Amino acid sequence: MDLYDDDKTPLFKNWGSWYVFIIGFLLVQIVLFYFFTKRFS
Amino acid sequence: MSQLDWIILVVTLLAIISYGLYKSRTSHNLDGYFLSNRSMPWGLVLLSIMGTQASAITFLSAPGQAYTDGMRFVQYYFGLPLAMVVICIFFVPIFHKLKVYTAYEYLENRFDNKTRTLTSFLFLLQRGLSTGISVFAPSIILSSLFGWNIYYTNILMGGLLIIYTMSGGAKAVAYTQQLQLIIIFTGMFLAAYMVVNMLPKNVSFTDALEVSGKLGKLNVITTGFEGGKFNWSDQYNLLSGLIGGFFLALSYFGTDQSQVGRYLTARSLRESRVGLLMNGLVKVPMQFAILLIGALVFTFYQFNKAPIFFNDIQISKLEQSPVYKDSFALARQQYDELTLQKQQAVLAYTSANKETTTSSLEQLRALQSKSDSLRGKVKDWLNTKEVGGDGNDTNYIFLRFVVDYLPAGLVGLLIAIIFLASWGSIAAAINSLASCSMVDFHKRFTRKKETGEDEYQLSKWYTLAWGIFCIVVAMFTYNIGNSLIEAVNILGSLFYGVILGVFLVAFFLKKIRRGDVVFWSALLAEVLVITVFILTRQGVFKMGFLWLNPIGAFGVVLFSLLLNKLVPSKK
Repeated sequence: MDLYDDDKTPLFKNWGSWYVFIIGFLLVQIVLFYFFTKRFS
Repeated sequence: MSQLDWIILVVTLLAIISYGLYKSRTSHNLDGYFLSNRSMPWGLVLLSIMGTQASAITFLSAPGQAYTDGMRFVQYYFGLPLAMVVICIFFVPIFHKLKVYTAYEYLENRFDNKTRTLTSFLFLLQRGLSTGISVFAPSIILSSLFGWNIYYTNILMGGLLIIYTMSGGAKAVAYTQQLQLIIIFTGMFLAAYMVVNMLPKNVSFTDALEVSGKLGKLNVITTGFEGGKFNWSDQYNLLSGLIGGFFLALSYFGTDQSQVGRYLTARSLRESRVGLLMNGLVKVPMQFAILLIGALVFTFYQFNKAPIFFNDIQISKLEQSPVYKDSFALARQQYDELTLQKQQAVLAYTSANKETTTSSLEQLRALQSKSDSLRGKVKDWLNTKEVGGDGNDTNYIFLRFVVDYLPAGLVGLLIAIIFLASWGSIAAAINSLASCSMVDFHKRFTRKKETGEDEYQLSKWYTLAWGIFCIVVAMFTYNIGNSLIEAVNILGSLFYGVILGVFLVAFFLKKIRRGDVVFWSALLAEVLVITVFILTRQGVFKMGFLWLNPIGAFGVVLFSLLLNKLVPSKK
């Protein structure tokens, strides 16, 4: 399967960067939620 | 409800129907009716995906869930962004390349007609029943709160949207979902603002979070480990959210036609992908915000009198019960006394200095624990055979707050939101049910040659038929009782895993080409999932329902590998 087909990617260079961004954003949220939980528990 | 509320409710609903009809013009063929001629930009695709997933229960139940169990429910959505990535890489390109109408069409290409028909049938069964419940669930809440006739409420909830869904197909569904979501987010934002605004003057937003958090409602991240061991029956924790939630979202967005049908309307592969990925970005923060409203409502009720149970109809059952009426009256009296003590304790806590904070917090926690225990008793009494009630009031908490405390006008807007959220998901569901009936069954099995216009007209009738079917299911749900609601909530997990497993074999196990192998593996895996489910229900072992999704998916994969080796192919 071609992860980076010729379908033009908006904002990022390729779709792979998009996927990394989505997963990275999820991880950042989990970390922030963890500190949020700690802060108020 | 006041006159102003009624006006806002009626005007909002009429505006949506009119807008849906206005946007109904589309070409008279299957492409126009089910896929909007594949012309939608990613923004509309995103809102359509979100509007399809978010039902009325999403906006009613989530704040109630935070009130009772804390915000940990948000973890249920952690697997969703990961699923979006996998779907964008593997699923969407194939669906676009083959220019399919339904996800199951691809399975005939890959295996055989039998496998396509089985998965499409499982989808119709699951989605048809659960959409009926989606009509009933908000109707029963409104009916209980306002004393509306449940049958008429079901017809309003499930019937009016058929007008524009039948007339305009996928295009009308997408455009109305866009407007619905704008109204929904505006209303929820106003409700959140009002909760904070109605707290005592000296209580800041941070104080409100402190109170909620210290009483266990801001438990966004939980590990699921208790005493060093992982608790498999714990429904919402980091692991079950990431793994179970991933498989559930992968099945739902990758193989459920009600979602696949939304992103197939995109004008290109790129627009489908961006719509899905943006959904992966916004879904978790959105759920966090909705749950936070519930946690703030909890804080609000620390300063104001909360009912011991939020569903009045169930309370009247206890008041009339010869066995429990005296115990209930006593419990209610004790609860009201505790409420007064809690109000003093929470005021002391928020205005306390560092030296007195710990003692006032301990006092507040002790009082909250007593209140929870009394509420627990009431729920247990309701669940007894003698009373025959429903001990779960999660869905009533937020709406009870809205009706009791929000100003006239806003109540009407929030009731309208319940209708709009329901309509968004139900409209997409009946559109997808009609597309599967038309494309996977009617077109596949009929020998009569039909023109594009014939197919367009027939598709409209299928839409109407499924709309009526869902209302009929909603009517029967009322007669059968609340237990069915719980059963159908789990229905998705009973079938989704198996459907996903079939797609996983199709995408990743290229050496398996025989339809027979996948067909029988899917049946075996379905039996396995149902067996596991029955065993958990009978208490043989404990396991949260989210785990049924990976069991079903891996069941199909493993059985397929096994059967492919063991069963010789026909020559």
